[in-house]
Amino acid sequence: MTDLISIAVTTVVLGSIYGLVAIGMTMIYGILRVLDMSQGSMVMVGGFVGWGIMTSAGWSPIVALVAAFAACFALGVVTQLVSVQPLIGRRGVDFEMITFITTFAVAIVFSNVALQIWGAGQHPVPNIVSGSVELYNGVNLTYQSMLMAGVSIAIMIAFGVFLTRSRYGIAVRAIAQDVDAARLMGVPIKRVFPVVMGFASALAGIAGVFLAGQYFASPTAGDQPLLIALIVVVFGGLGSLPGTIVAAYAIGLIQASASTLIGTTWALPILYGVILLVLLVRPQGLLGRPMEARL
Amino acid sequence: MTRRRPTPMQATFTRWKVSISLALLAIAVLIPFVYPNQYGTGVMVTMMILITLNASWNFTLGHAGVWNFGQLALYAAGGYGCGMLVLHASFPPVLALIGGALAGAVFATLLALPTLRLFGIYTSLLTFAAAVVLQLVIQNDDTGATGGAFGLPSIQGFFGGLDPLWQVRAWYWLCLAIAVATVVGLAVLMKQPFGLALRTLRDSLPYGSARGVDPRRYRVLAFALSGALAGLAGGLYTLYNGSIAPNVMGLTPLSIYVTMIVVGGLGTITGPIIGTVILTIVQQALIDHPGTQLTVLGLVLLVIVVFFPRGIAAEGAKVTRRVEAWMNEEEEVGGDAMAPVPVTASGRA
Repeated sequence: MTDLISIAVTTVVLGSIYGLVAIGMTMIYGILRVLDMSQGSMVMVGGFVGWGIMTSAGWSPIVALVAAFAACFALGVVTQLVSVQPLIGRRGVDFEMITFITTFAVAIVFSNVALQIWGAGQHPVPNIVSGSVELYNGVNLTYQSMLMAGVSIAIMIAFGVFLTRSRYGIAVRAIAQDVDAARLMGVPIKRVFPVVMGFASALAGIAGVFLAGQYFASPTAGDQPLLIALIVVVFGGLGSLPGTIVAAYAIGLIQASASTLIGTTWALPILYGVILLVLLVRPQGLLGRPMEARL
Repeated sequence: MTRRRPTPMQATFTRWKVSISLALLAIAVLIPFVYPNQYGTGVMVTMMILITLNASWNFTLGHAGVWNFGQLALYAAGGYGCGMLVLHASFPPVLALIGGALAGAVFATLLALPTLRLFGIYTSLLTFAAAVVLQLVIQNDDTGATGGAFGLPSIQGFFGGLDPLWQVRAWYWLCLAIAVATVVGLAVLMKQPFGLALRTLRDSLPYGSARGVDPRRYRVLAFALSGALAGLAGGLYTLYNGSIAPNVMGLTPLSIYVTMIVVGGLGTITGPIIGTVILTIVQQALIDHPGTQLTVLGLVLLVIVVFFPRGIAAEGAKVTRRVEAWMNEEEEVGGDAMAPVPVTASGRA
């Protein structure tokens, strides 16, 4: 019983954070057809912004979240303008493959510049809120985890409302469905693309502040979230938002059960093993449609 | 004057290109005498091993068009296979090397079967996940077979009886011979019906299947061959360094090797050589500033890909074609200049 409750709690917390990073990636893929490998760097940058503002400057966590959002939004726009925009419509190249590589190059540059500036060490970031509540004998839920899960879920809901209700959200979904038709209807795609990537990066930055509170801020802090986010988006079906959210919690559940019941060293191999099996049975992910994006 | 249309082999291996290649090969063979430096020669040994690895990777990633990001697992399978045969079964190094290549081929065949069901990004994640699983399994292995996170130490390689300078020279020539054989072999293969079938499947799977090219057979064969070559490179790495550890896999080596292939030119014959040589030089030039190495590497990758998405080799091929057209005009004044023959079936080079 203790195990079950602790698994359930970990699932919700992990799943919410993974969801926050992964919806950015799936949105970028759905709209731009780019698998953005620089999202991990945004998590890392978010962590360092959190460290700089909360630990070094000693300001409030709210400032850190806003600053991480702004910094990562700007970096996301720059990344798009540098590594994706020049390749749109280029003839004779496989756009998906080549942007996968350019965003990967941007990620290499970001993490090594961070390494030069801040060094390889782990920088502690305080939790935004402290304290915890005991749910069941021995199972503790920290307020930080509750806040992380709550904020992530709130952002995901707000995002869903934005995409389905607002004029801009509908324009974004129109691009995901058919770029040419959206352009003919007057959607300025050259302006929407950088904003989408900036917005997705900003979500990853916020996740970075939370994750740095849980672990540390370091130049490699983005590697694991990137891998997990990749797994989540592919597992859920690339470009499918509901699929991504379901997959985020499913991955959280697999990881939580594996670490609680078998041991943390085997959590990742088991996770990858399950993904291999799922992809063999359903090559297009949980809710994905083959060769077609859904948003 | 009528002239016979050149066969694909003749069109690719023109007299001009063959003579340039032979001249470069002669330089490569003689470099250890001009540059009698043990450290420098050692760097070139590693470079030759990487050319073999990158050529094998380029075969599936570039020529066959399968998004394979698990090649380092095949490299490690070869390296570990070879090392374990020497250490645990006391095989002679030559047999262990062959064993390593076989291990790579077997692992590649296993990896190829599931990729047939997937497309694009999904393939890249599956192959990459397979590599991560292998790395994690080796790291967490406490049976002693693979040495866990510390790897396999003190493996006896070739040329143990020679003095250090001649030993590293002998290694250089061995690895040079294997790299040249790999690149030339793959270049010839790509001009055979087998290569044409692979390119067809890459450019249009439905068309290829409709023309009777069985994707399953060709992809599995391509993977097995690529895996055998990667396993061979892995075995050479283990025997040359005398050890192998799980850090031959992972994100950093992956990013360096992908950069080499893409900067050189994905899906080209000379691309892996050009990319590996250029990036080895860049890395050596920055050896005193280790922190900036990867930053520069990332910037080089970004700039080259944005400006020349098809790589340096493809840009070079344009120049080569112009020179060849010009040389043909010289040879037969008044005759019809040979029409430029595209390097590959598609425009993707």
